[in-house]
Amino acid sequence: PSTLQVKRQRRAQKQVQARKLTQEQIRSGTPEPVEGRQHVYVQTELYLEEISDRVIEVDGECQTDEFLDRPPTPLFIPAKTGKDMATQIEEGELFDFDIEVKPILEVLVGKTVEQALLEVMEEEELAQLWSHQRAFAELRNAEFAELQRLEEQDRRIREEKERRRLEHLEKLRKQKETAEKIAARAFAQRYLADLIPSVFNNLHDSGFFYDPVERDIETEFLPWLMSEVEETLQKNVLGRMMLDSLIRMVVEKRLDEFSHPPPSDQTETPAEEPRAADAAPQVSDGADAADQAVAEEEETDQPVAEE
Amino acid sequence: MAQPRISAYLPPDIDPTKAALAFGRRALPKLNEELQSPELLTQQRALMALCDLVHDPEKVYQAIALGFLDSLKTLLVHQDQTIRQKTTEVLSIMALHSTGRDGLIRSGVVSALTGLLDDPVDICRKNTHRIFDVVAKLPQGAGGVLQAGLIPPLVLKLKMELDEIQELILDTLSNCLRVEVSEALAAGAVTVLKEKLSHPSAAIRSKAAWVLLEISSHAEGKIAVCEEEVIPVLVGLLEDTQPEVQVNSAGALMFAIVTPQGRSSAMGAEAIPPLLTLVAEETSKARLNAIKTLTLLAELPEGRKRLLDHRDTFQRCLDDPSEAVQRAAEIAITVIDWKP
Repeated sequence: PSTLQVKRQRRAQKQVQARKLTQEQIRSGTPEPVEGRQHVYVQTELYLEEISDRVIEVDGECQTDEFLDRPPTPLFIPAKTGKDMATQIEEGELFDFDIEVKPILEVLVGKTVEQALLEVMEEEELAQLWSHQRAFAELRNAEFAELQRLEEQDRRIREEKERRRLEHLEKLRKQKETAEKIAARAFAQRYLADLIPSVFNNLHDSGFFYDPVERDIETEFLPWLMSEVEETLQKNVLGRMMLDSLIRMVVEKRLDEFSHPPPSDQTETPAEEPRAADAAPQVSDGADAADQAVAEEEETDQPVAEE
Repeated sequence: MAQPRISAYLPPDIDPTKAALAFGRRALPKLNEELQSPELLTQQRALMALCDLVHDPEKVYQAIALGFLDSLKTLLVHQDQTIRQKTTEVLSIMALHSTGRDGLIRSGVVSALTGLLDDPVDICRKNTHRIFDVVAKLPQGAGGVLQAGLIPPLVLKLKMELDEIQELILDTLSNCLRVEVSEALAAGAVTVLKEKLSHPSAAIRSKAAWVLLEISSHAEGKIAVCEEEVIPVLVGLLEDTQPEVQVNSAGALMFAIVTPQGRSSAMGAEAIPPLLTLVAEETSKARLNAIKTLTLLAELPEGRKRLLDHRDTFQRCLDDPSEAVQRAAEIAITVIDWKP
């Protein structure tokens, strides 16, 4: 026993003794021995036993070994025992072959036929299954073909409809285009109807159509005429101015002369005459009648001045 | 003594070519280990035992859960032909169960099998094609076959394989082409199928017509069929002796003449008389397809003119026991009587 167990043993014994003492004090234990006898403690067992509540436990394991493949059974040929004896059996002694063979034959034939029947049944079942499947496949194919036919029909109808619709749209579009063209043409015609007169009017107004002679006269002749007239008038004015200055000079000279004695009156007047004659032909270079008249007037004036 | 009662137990299985099976749940894992062993004999014996086990659907489920398909995939490319043959056999039996099919599709065995298409041994190729055929019957399976890019090689094989294998290839193609048709058209399937339509074997002709039916149910298929001038050949097949061929070629025509070019080509090939004979026969299986084809042709003006004379044939079809035929006949009569 280990030290722990020995200690436990001693403790247990002490407890027992302590309990005994207390119990003896509290109540009476075993009765007093009869006269002539004595109570004695006796050990009945060879070894002391520890009295405790705890049960001693020990764990143990057990397991079968992993399976090994059993080697194949060797052919068992039992050893020969006993004495060899021989005996002879005559025909017909043991059994009648034809009667005895019947059950064996029945078994053989029966089993063969049974096996054959099973196989035939299986084959039939298989054939039934295949035929069932074929029937289903046919139905399915038929329905599928119907579906495809309807699809094809539907597609054709749809295509036809689509084509017709497109044609119709095309037709409408062309119609619309034609109507628009007509409207545009009518409008344009109307618009342009009075285009030509208005254009002509405008052009006429802006002076693009002109009578060439009139224009010629207007553009060239008249300005020239005006300039000539102006020139003539200027000459006229110049003449008049000259005349005025002459008259003034003459008058001033006459005044001078009349205020002074008249020594060289005769020589100065012929000098004045060529001057006046120069002025007169210069003035009369103009081709206008008015100029002529003015020149004539001046000529008449000169003689008047001379006189 | 022998008894006449049939025993519930199977007879003792002492086939020496098969590996011994472990008891209960241990059987399949042990077989898996044996399959991966380096010894040839062990592998072969394990495969033989597996072939027998795999007829049971529960064993198939267990096998797939244990990951048998990976070991089988490695064995597919083994040099020994017995191993390849047995592996393909195991896979083909697995494909007959739905769990097996799911497992095959998910683990990508379909793409692993593409290498076996050129196998020198006939049995291997036949089993491979059997697997493709059964897998393609599922929609996901058909998708898997398409994704593995099998259509062009299959179309190539169609030209040069044995007859039985050709039938399997045609079945596979018909199931796959129901989904998508562009790859097959790119590989020139319509030309190959047109040749097969004149094959001596009736089964191949009917299956080729079925594949053409599936092709022409798609729009681009219809265009290809019209371009390759298959419609006159199909019209010729309508007068074939075998009812199967008649049914399938009528069906293929039914789909192919939905397009306007198809219709004009069919009218040009004088399709109406043979179709009318098919409709007139009371017990013909091709009645439904023939009525539908005539409905399509009746949408053309010249077709309608000719069919107006035969309106009473359709009237008689209204008494057919099959409801689908009755409906088809009603629709046909409506289309014939339609006035623009």
